Amino acid sequence: MTVKADNNKNDNNKTQKDKKKKSFLHLLFINLFGGKKKMTVMEEEMLQNEGVEEEIESPGQIIWSSFKSDKVAMTALIIFIIIVIVSVIGPLVNPIDLSFSEVSQQHIPPGRNLMKYPSALEGKVQDISTGPKYSVAASTDGKLYIWGKTKITDTIDLRRVPKDMGNIVKLAAGYDHILALNDEGQLFAWGNGRQRQTDIPDEVIGLTNISDIVAGYQNSIVLTEDGHMYYFGNYMNNDIDLFHPYQGQLQKVVVTSDAVLGLTFDGEVVYLGSQNTAYSRIPEDMGNIVDLAATAATVAAVNEEGQVFVWGNISAKKGEGNIPETDSKIVSLQGGRYHYTAMTEDGQIVSWGDNTYKQSTVPDSVASADIESYYTGFYQNYAVTSQGDILTWGLKGYLLGSDELGRDIFNRLLNGARLSLFIGAISVVISTIIGIIVGGISGYFGGRVDIVLQRIAEMVASLPFLPLAMILSALIGHSMSPRQRIFLIMFILGILSWTGLQRLVRAQILSIREQEYVLAARALGVKEWKIIFRHILPNVFSAIIVSTTLSFASSILTEASLSYLGFGVQAPYPTWGNMLYGANNSVVIQNYWWRWVFASIILSVSVVSINTIGDGLRDAVDPKTQER
Amino acid sequence: MAKYIAKRILYMIFVAFIMTFVLFFLFNLVPGDPARAEVEAMKELLTPEEYLYRYQQARERLGLDDPLIKRYGKWLKNTLEGDLGQSYAYKQPVTEVIKAPLRNTIFLNVFVVAAVLLITIPLGIKCAIKQNSAFDKTIQVLTVIGYSLPVFIIALIFIFIFAVKLRWFPVSGMRTPNFKGTAFQAFLDTMHHLALPLIILIIGSLAGVTRHVRAAMIDALSMDYIKTARAKGLEEKVVIYSHAWRNALLPVITLIIGWIASVFSGSIITESMFNLHGMGKFYIDALHKQDWNVALAIQMFYIVITLVSYLITDITYGFVDPRVKVDQ
Repeated sequence: MTVKADNNKNDNNKTQKDKKKKSFLHLLFINLFGGKKKMTVMEEEMLQNEGVEEEIESPGQIIWSSFKSDKVAMTALIIFIIIVIVSVIGPLVNPIDLSFSEVSQQHIPPGRNLMKYPSALEGKVQDISTGPKYSVAASTDGKLYIWGKTKITDTIDLRRVPKDMGNIVKLAAGYDHILALNDEGQLFAWGNGRQRQTDIPDEVIGLTNISDIVAGYQNSIVLTEDGHMYYFGNYMNNDIDLFHPYQGQLQKVVVTSDAVLGLTFDGEVVYLGSQNTAYSRIPEDMGNIVDLAATAATVAAVNEEGQVFVWGNISAKKGEGNIPETDSKIVSLQGGRYHYTAMTEDGQIVSWGDNTYKQSTVPDSVASADIESYYTGFYQNYAVTSQGDILTWGLKGYLLGSDELGRDIFNRLLNGARLSLFIGAISVVISTIIGIIVGGISGYFGGRVDIVLQRIAEMVASLPFLPLAMILSALIGHSMSPRQRIFLIMFILGILSWTGLQRLVRAQILSIREQEYVLAARALGVKEWKIIFRHILPNVFSAIIVSTTLSFASSILTEASLSYLGFGVQAPYPTWGNMLYGANNSVVIQNYWWRWVFASIILSVSVVSINTIGDGLRDAVDPKTQER
Repeated sequence: MAKYIAKRILYMIFVAFIMTFVLFFLFNLVPGDPARAEVEAMKELLTPEEYLYRYQQARERLGLDDPLIKRYGKWLKNTLEGDLGQSYAYKQPVTEVIKAPLRNTIFLNVFVVAAVLLITIPLGIKCAIKQNSAFDKTIQVLTVIGYSLPVFIIALIFIFIFAVKLRWFPVSGMRTPNFKGTAFQAFLDTMHHLALPLIILIIGSLAGVTRHVRAAMIDALSMDYIKTARAKGLEEKVVIYSHAWRNALLPVITLIIGWIASVFSGSIITESMFNLHGMGKFYIDALHKQDWNVALAIQMFYIVITLVSYLITDITYGFVDPRVKVDQ
């Protein structure tokens, strides 16, 4: 019995094997449409009828269907396609400003909570003040709220507020310190005190008539009701004349990033420094000034007629001087880092100036609401409606943090993706073209040409890749602009990496050259070049695709390594590799982890997925490796 | 055999010769006038005629007006005599300057090569024997990730975990500043500093080599003679180590020698990350400082290492596999 059964089995096997041989396409068909599902006779008949059509299925389709069934490779392909699409569309949506740098936005951790005020604040805003990456507010019931990124250094955190401050009524957020005034006229200061901007002088401690407080870049200013001002903090960076003649006349003081100006009780703008700067050239005949405000580089004043004057280091690009037309006259002004927000007589809010983070685009909700008060600082604006709602516009934060020059890492990754992939692709195109030409000529013609070409290829292949690429980049790129260097890198990568493909094409052609159909073509009198391109190359094509995919991954990696070492693409152009340049010290690795983590992740994911696609393609092209 | 080796050596010299010429030519493209740099300091003290005279003299002495090929010949002659020129940055002969980094790099890489071979060969064989087991599959996945990740990302992760968070190892450098102690303690201190870069270099190489050993071993195990050996009732150990491994050795050796050459250039990144005083770090510094004589010398070192390793591969071929007729 058992013997019989075995025989049966054998027979079965045999017939199955025969079947396999008979109709490989049939098998493929089964695989394509659901594996083990048994076919009805009808379907099989249909298949045979359609046999003619089925045969048309090209090798490319076979490879594709085999590739499709490889789940890992398909996942990798989908991931990679997403990366490519994002890298193409991303820079259009989110273009990069190569010359951008902003000191106040350096090393901001990931997160978009810079304007996420605590909901407990709604309906009881007493005062809001905004710093470069945080905001601080006092509520009418005497509570203090701080939100945003408050960590200044390892040891200084703005959230560590002094105890027992009582009811805070006024706040001033500086670059990295905060001043607060309570309802008893007591002043508090905390934050970064390296320039003594948080050390309240004795004569200020004794004051009981403080009317206004101002905190700027490493400085603090206190103004009293009788028009006296007290200055403490950095005297070197800020142009301040401590013995200016306007003591006792000041009703308001503003600070730019390096100068101090005041508004007297008579409505006159005065410069409180001793040097002759762009700020000290105050426009004449401004009339009676009612409000004064300052950005980091400009000063603006509005007079009784609602006319606004802006002076200082006005930048055309940022547009602090482009005062918009308003229906009614402007009555008050506030300055951010590079933009102004103003309120008109009938309660309308207008903003102008730098709009990088939409901080000067007043949202419709604000335009339609009844605004009671507004607070502007750095890149944020807060408007409080008469119902007590808080509306915001401006910089929410950075999804993936910001780097050492205050640039948005997400934006750089997006634009870097395009450059990284582009460099990888072009260098692969270069190496593929060289590889196909050299390998094709070498394999097809053989003889002396072959020997010479193979010696050259051997020579190039035997060169140490990374050091050579580095020295070429250093020598040739010595006097090149960053833009020219991008092309140089593509070229170097292409020129040094064609040997592998060349060997492959040559070996394939050597074997195909001897096949009958080439012989037949030759016998028919087909021209040599036509034989190469029409009859031989298409058969090598799949092998070329696999090799190209894998070398695309290695090109991206090499570019990243070169850029990481400083011999590849250089700033300001972003690539995934050069975003990691300068990340290898413990301070960056630990404190500014977002500078290397995200670039590393996206680079790794891309390379792993391209390699996986390459492996999957190889398995699909050559089913032998799959069996192993 | 001797004829073959002689032929390969001649070929190697030819390649090295071509490469030196190409590099020399490239170096001459770099703008800069050494003669002018020499006399510039005296410009204030001299009359214009004197200055011009001195300048022309310097040009003549340095042979700057000679045709490129003549200058190349001169340079080659000096190089062959062991004179690699002066380092601009260190004001010392290049041969003096590169001694210490050369020693460090060789120490580092010999250690890495030994460790990698000790790990990967048993691992690769085990994967091949237990092909498609859970163990094998895990190793396969790990190695794909391993060879896809650039070494600097692996290094960043390791520094973050082991040097910054756990504080087991120092972040960079080769020894504690002002270290005092016996020679043995100094050695331990150095090893403590080198531990992390060594681990990273080893991990960076593990993936590729393991995959190759595994593939070679699988090929060997699928041969008919293995079936014969098993059919004879030989012990599995004998089958694997005596029959299969010996046959897998050929492709493995080819790969390993090629890989050893790449280890040297591969350690450039790791050395610069950990600030190790090795050839790679030295090379980067020289390129950044435009200390071209040093850069050229190190570049030649890399080329020679690669060429020698190719030569060794070819020769070992003949010894390991007598079937390969190397004379052809």
